[in-house]
Amino acid sequence: MGRMDNLRPEIARLIAAKEQRRRKLAALSFSEKVRVVVQLQQMAAPVLRARGRPVRVWALDDLKPAGGK
Amino acid sequence: MEKTLQVLNALEHDGVVRRYAIGGAMGATFYVEPVLTFDLDIFVILPQTAYGLLTLEPLYEALRARGYTEEGECVNIEGVPVQFLPAYNELLVEALAEARETLYEQTPTRVLRAEHLAAIAVQTGRDKDRQRVRLLREQALLDNNYLRGVLARHSLEAKWEEWTT
Repeated sequence: MGRMDNLRPEIARLIAAKEQRRRKLAALSFSEKVRVVVQLQQMAAPVLRARGRPVRVWALDDLKPAGGK
Repeated sequence: MEKTLQVLNALEHDGVVRRYAIGGAMGATFYVEPVLTFDLDIFVILPQTAYGLLTLEPLYEALRARGYTEEGECVNIEGVPVQFLPAYNELLVEALAEARETLYEQTPTRVLRAEHLAAIAVQTGRDKDRQRVRLLREQALLDNNYLRGVLARHSLEAKWEEWTT
């Protein structure tokens, strides 16, 4: 139990950081969000195809790096 | 996706569809964090046919004439699989009428209001719709008075209460 207590502030910090990232993503512009969706598609497609679900990653020619610095 | 939306605007301009708006997961993404989806759901009001039938065939025909082919239930328009969904009930007709005008890059388009997306999710009632309602409640700035009106007009208040309490 004492060990769990020691972990709590760290876990709370991680959860808060995750929540902050979700809010940041929600605040992106629509076109930036679409770029993130395509990145998600690129990550998910191999797994889904391996499971037998044919999916197509959007082929957008207006794609630019998301959140570029 | 900008070119896809330009094609949709041209279809509306040419009268192939009377009105369109983005819905589904991409519609929700407009208001919340990006959600994985492989289809662009487009709700449409179709012109009335001579026999009063709602058919997507004239729309598909117009897209074929522009060189866009069907892939299963979608049409690939400029690299994006688009699924067209005719407004088949009063909630969808209202949602389309009151959809929000916005810009995608330089191209005008329409997205269903967050309140309508939530109501449509409740009406559709799948597990992923429950998830969508949760996300919209967490992250979208819902106009609660407006939402109450939508739910009341379409007899969805009880189900909303069931899902959200």
